[in-house]
Amino acid sequence: MSASPAPAMENVAARPDIREKVTGHARYTVDKQPRGMVWARYLRFPYGAGRIAGFNIDAARAVPGVLEVSVRADHPPRCAGDVIGEMVAESPAALDDGLAALRLQCRPGQPTTNPDDAHAGVPPPNDEEAATLKSIFADATVTVEAEYRTAVQTHSCFEPHAVTAIPQDNGDLEVAVSTQSLMSCQEQSARAADLPASRVRVKAEYVGGGFGSKFGIGAEGNLAIKWARELKRPCRVALSRQEEHEMGGNRPGSIQYYHLAAAADGRLLGGRMHLVSVVGHTGRGGGVRAPSYYRWGEIVRTDDQIALNSGLPRAFRAPAWPQASFAMESVLDELAARLGMDPVEFRIRNETSERRQRQLRQGAELIGWNERPPDGTMTGVVKTGWGCGVASWGNSQGRCAVDLDVYPSGHLEVRIGIQDMGTGATVLAVDVAAWHLGLDRKWITGKIGVSDYPPGPASGGSITSRFTAPAVRDAAEKAVTALKARIAAEWELAPNDVTYAQGVFRAADGRERSWVEACRTITDGKINVRGEFNDRYWGHGNSDTAQFAKVDVDTETGLIRVRKIVAIQACGLAVNRLTAENQIEGGVIQGMSYALFEDRRLDGPTGAQYNADLLQYKISGIGDLPEIVAIIDRDEEEDGVRSLGEPTTIPTAGAIANAVANAIGARVRELPITPARVLAALEERGSA
Amino acid sequence: MTAPGRDPVPAPAAKSAQFSSTRRQFLRGLGLVGAASVCPPLTTAATANPANAKPSHPDLEEYGRDPQPVILQINGQTHTVSVAPRDTLLDVLRHQLNLTGTKSICEHGACGGCSVLWDGRAVPTCLCLAREAAGHEILTVEGIADDPRFAPLIEAFCAHDAAQCGFCIPGFVVRAAELFLQGERMSTEEVQIALSGNLCRCGTHAKIVTAVTAALSAGAIA
Repeated sequence: MSASPAPAMENVAARPDIREKVTGHARYTVDKQPRGMVWARYLRFPYGAGRIAGFNIDAARAVPGVLEVSVRADHPPRCAGDVIGEMVAESPAALDDGLAALRLQCRPGQPTTNPDDAHAGVPPPNDEEAATLKSIFADATVTVEAEYRTAVQTHSCFEPHAVTAIPQDNGDLEVAVSTQSLMSCQEQSARAADLPASRVRVKAEYVGGGFGSKFGIGAEGNLAIKWARELKRPCRVALSRQEEHEMGGNRPGSIQYYHLAAAADGRLLGGRMHLVSVVGHTGRGGGVRAPSYYRWGEIVRTDDQIALNSGLPRAFRAPAWPQASFAMESVLDELAARLGMDPVEFRIRNETSERRQRQLRQGAELIGWNERPPDGTMTGVVKTGWGCGVASWGNSQGRCAVDLDVYPSGHLEVRIGIQDMGTGATVLAVDVAAWHLGLDRKWITGKIGVSDYPPGPASGGSITSRFTAPAVRDAAEKAVTALKARIAAEWELAPNDVTYAQGVFRAADGRERSWVEACRTITDGKINVRGEFNDRYWGHGNSDTAQFAKVDVDTETGLIRVRKIVAIQACGLAVNRLTAENQIEGGVIQGMSYALFEDRRLDGPTGAQYNADLLQYKISGIGDLPEIVAIIDRDEEEDGVRSLGEPTTIPTAGAIANAVANAIGARVRELPITPARVLAALEERGSA
Repeated sequence: MTAPGRDPVPAPAAKSAQFSSTRRQFLRGLGLVGAASVCPPLTTAATANPANAKPSHPDLEEYGRDPQPVILQINGQTHTVSVAPRDTLLDVLRHQLNLTGTKSICEHGACGGCSVLWDGRAVPTCLCLAREAAGHEILTVEGIADDPRFAPLIEAFCAHDAAQCGFCIPGFVVRAAELFLQGERMSTEEVQIALSGNLCRCGTHAKIVTAVTAALSAGAIA
């Protein structure tokens, strides 16, 4: 009796832990509530600048349930949300009561909240730059000189940053963290607790969202571990929704100046880029990844950062790329329009990648590009437009270690010290092993999210799948080798004379043993093997993508309705088709949200974020869902797993912006593209 | 003048308008008698010493700020929990009953993540006082998952990989369960509008809509 045939890579079963999530049984960090747990939070300054004018610490301490509270003012507040103290209490209600009793009074100062107040404008080129630009523009048939802006975007993870620190009876420490970096959290927790790392266990079996802001235990972890140690009780710290917006990290805004030229034959000639990031109070952490993807010609480029009295940036899914892509894809369409060239042909003309050229042609066909009229020429109140953009992502190698146990029953357990904040990383443990062992998934249990497991990569840079898959494959092959040795011994053959394929061990003389039968040779409890870094499964080449958008724009209300997005994404071998589609669709929806809705708004006089919630900080809703055609672009020669999570969200905003401009014959050069901005652009065009 | 075959971007359909006005009526029907019952309590003489407070209306029930035992019907079981007037149903479910499937996400009733079925209607528990749940049938995501009537719905979410981080999914399951109980077959567009009260950050929108549409067309409870 043999095990059933192996599912192929691009398995279409859902992620192995889907049921726990759907049934509400998955326990996230904020769901872990050991007996006796205390709750701690930071006290925060409410304005972008100013001073503390008064507070009543004794009244706060006297509130039933408040265990300790302190206010400190070692530096002037720098942003709304800046830490000015801490409180620990028996319950969230006691924390609220303590805060009320504290009667914290603050006076706002003069925060910098408007980028234009701090923007020095585009610096004049120096003599050498000026000479370069002069020669570039001398050959120009057309030029575009424009400024593009993008808003600050907050990560808005649905599970907030949270840590539950749980002291153990023997002095060890268990720490639950909502994190993208399981292994670094162990190291940091140990330092915070002044314990050897071997006495600290970090658990992150389920993580409620992480797009780059959840690396390390953070200030929340330091606070939770501090009070857990001091009170010898479990301690939970979880940010509120307001704290998430203000202090949970953000994608910087941008002010991007482009003055670019093209020749009559469609060649990009180059020009000037001045790229400014709008960041938080440190004045650092920004960046705009221009130029890229196309042959831009010679570029004179300068960069700057503008500091606002606001929360600091944290890496956000493809950091620095979506800002650049929106502007660059917009500029390309503007140049193409001036040349009278089709935007797809213009891109193909200047593309550096054959694959993206092919994806552009394929996407154009799938979106119905031949229906696209010249900009703004469609009649009627509701006008349809088409736009596109490209992106790419690199594929370096990196380490991961995997434990694999094989039991006499034929079952396997795969353990990896990685984490899953929505990517479906458990498929790496289960589906890669299933594929290489030729076994049905039901034989394999995948476990992740505990720091006891062998070290795996943090989930950033779209590395998790491409670092982990080779190690799982290695472990599977070692398991086969171990069993081959036992069968060979029984058959009195050399191990090399035994072959294994699709769940069956075979000898040349026709003898056979199924996987399950072979496992009965395991007489010492289990076989354990360790999978390691190796060169196989190495997915050469980039993860290229082209995306096309089709939108309807109501020219009376300014409302935009994205009708369809075609997203063609190369990612090597997709370990699992459904989870890969979810990554593509998820990136597209976040890109659409960035293009049309998200905007961190600061109150001018006080510097508070006045939309620090999920009602007025708008993200893509279910009603906004377009038809998404997600295509896993794979060559027959593909033999490795490549990056996937980040390239999917880079070109969407540019494609949508271009589609809107095509529809209405006017260009909105600022994200989010709101109805008000659409109407303003139409009005400006009408009066031109 | 509209081009042939093109409608302006549609206004929210009648169904969603019905839903939101019904939800307002529902909250009025709960008897939340204004701001006083939802503000954090102030330490005033009246509330600190309930014996001195004069009832302002014969139909009003008055009690102090301290926790008192309340009997709740959750997932078909009776629970006696200690509830302070300001405790939300979300607080009680998560912290006292250890039913952590219902999530706290936006704290303002804007995202649907804290939803349960309250006498068959999806409500945001972050905006419901726990006390008011007495006498009503509360069904959380855990109860829905355990109830064989909703098996086609649970299976549809599982089969379509309708979850990424999963934090929003219990709220969607609850709202979908409400639609499931209503027993109507719904098109994809109608499902999209009906689910518009629930937010998802990871962008699982397409798979959620696919799963719910499939469940409603296959096995909705008539």
